[in-house]
Amino acid sequence: MSLARSLMAFVVAGALAASPGVASRAQAGDLLVTGAKPDRLFVIDAATRTVRSDYRIADANGQVFSIVISPDQKTAYVLVDKMERIVGIDLATGRETFRADLSSGDEKVKSFFALAVTPDGRELLVYELPTRMKLSEYVVEEPRFAVFRTDAGLAAKAVRSFPAPRRVHLLLMRPDGRSFYAVGFDLYEYDTHTGKLLGTRGIQKWAVPDHAQPDLLAFWPVTEPTGVFTSPIYTEINKPGAAGAPTTALMSLDLKSGELAYEDFEPMNALIFSTVLSPDRSHAYGVYTTLSSIDVPGHRLEKRVNLDHTYYAINVSSDGREVYVGGTTCDVGFYDAKTLGKKAVVKLPGCGDQTLATLRVIHGK
Amino acid sequence: MSELKPTNHKAELLLEAVADGHVAEVLAMESVAGCATTFDPGWEVDPFGGVASLCQPMEADLYGCSDPCWWPAQVPDTMNTYPDWDKGLPSAAGDWRDLNSVYPKK
Repeated sequence: MSLARSLMAFVVAGALAASPGVASRAQAGDLLVTGAKPDRLFVIDAATRTVRSDYRIADANGQVFSIVISPDQKTAYVLVDKMERIVGIDLATGRETFRADLSSGDEKVKSFFALAVTPDGRELLVYELPTRMKLSEYVVEEPRFAVFRTDAGLAAKAVRSFPAPRRVHLLLMRPDGRSFYAVGFDLYEYDTHTGKLLGTRGIQKWAVPDHAQPDLLAFWPVTEPTGVFTSPIYTEINKPGAAGAPTTALMSLDLKSGELAYEDFEPMNALIFSTVLSPDRSHAYGVYTTLSSIDVPGHRLEKRVNLDHTYYAINVSSDGREVYVGGTTCDVGFYDAKTLGKKAVVKLPGCGDQTLATLRVIHGK
Repeated sequence: MSELKPTNHKAELLLEAVADGHVAEVLAMESVAGCATTFDPGWEVDPFGGVASLCQPMEADLYGCSDPCWWPAQVPDTMNTYPDWDKGLPSAAGDWRDLNSVYPKK
């Protein structure tokens, strides 16, 4: 995986090693959800910098991948077991309320990070890559979207499925629930009920003038708190006088309006794995081995700092004053959104690696 | 393909078949055998030709590569081929001494 934005009025300048006393009132109530090897699901109280819940997922089998929170914010749907099982975990009790085993018989089914829940919370959409494991050969079958009822309990079976394109890594539900986006080589939109392809827009086949073919690494389905998915995009300026100049752009997809935008913000000087948009949409924050803030309307990198170690995942507080970083190892970092200064680090019990687990925020009211 | 020039009759036939649309699409076995189809170099060099933009430390990235079968040539793939490689070893930075080499099954 080695590949490679809100100026707020009040800042706790230089406040390292934060305590509950320094947490701003507006962020009180934010809960962070992350996972770690081999089977852990954590709920972290952002205001007090404490691990509120430490759950073990039965039969996780070594890894915790994508985490999707139900619309009522009570259940975390988690991809586990070598990407072959999705479980629903009650966030208040840790009890498993939903389980879908994707593989059956000689059909091995993997889901590469891509799942989403409908806005009414009743259905779970899963991108499935099936392979028939024959005695002397593997038969690659066509990928599909499978739909599960979330009240199906611990032996959930797909209630319908429909054809899907190859190489999809993210499913993003639109707020009206009638359609969803699948992010892969291109951006596809499908009717949630019928599976009809409603439209395709370019990612690999984008039509941005003077730019070469883009590259992105979109494994983190973070759309909170704005309902806008963002991702860094790497490309080259391809015009006379600047041919081949690597550049980094910010891709943003507004799930409500459907607006898709690409804006260059810096010559490619650093890698960014994932980004999140501030509540007021004025800044994006990106993480990898550095933490970056991007002035969104100004289309420019505003600030970049080195981190203690590489992180894959990023999110932001309800009030936009703090940036949270996670993934990779066994800590979650709290950073000031304006100065990008470190405020606190929470070590996860057991110190298992988070690796590719999504860092989610349940935003306080 | 436009930059390749056939040097024998069989290669000419292949080019004709491609032009006529008779060559079946090759599907990467992304879910079982092929895993990630990335060919960027592993932990050796970053996109800038240096090392500053590699994951730091590399252990922060180790299971992020073995779990999704990202670089199956550089690190054992725990998704399919070596599912127990990291069993009981949840922290790459803390447990690296016990992560062993793997060998093809005979």
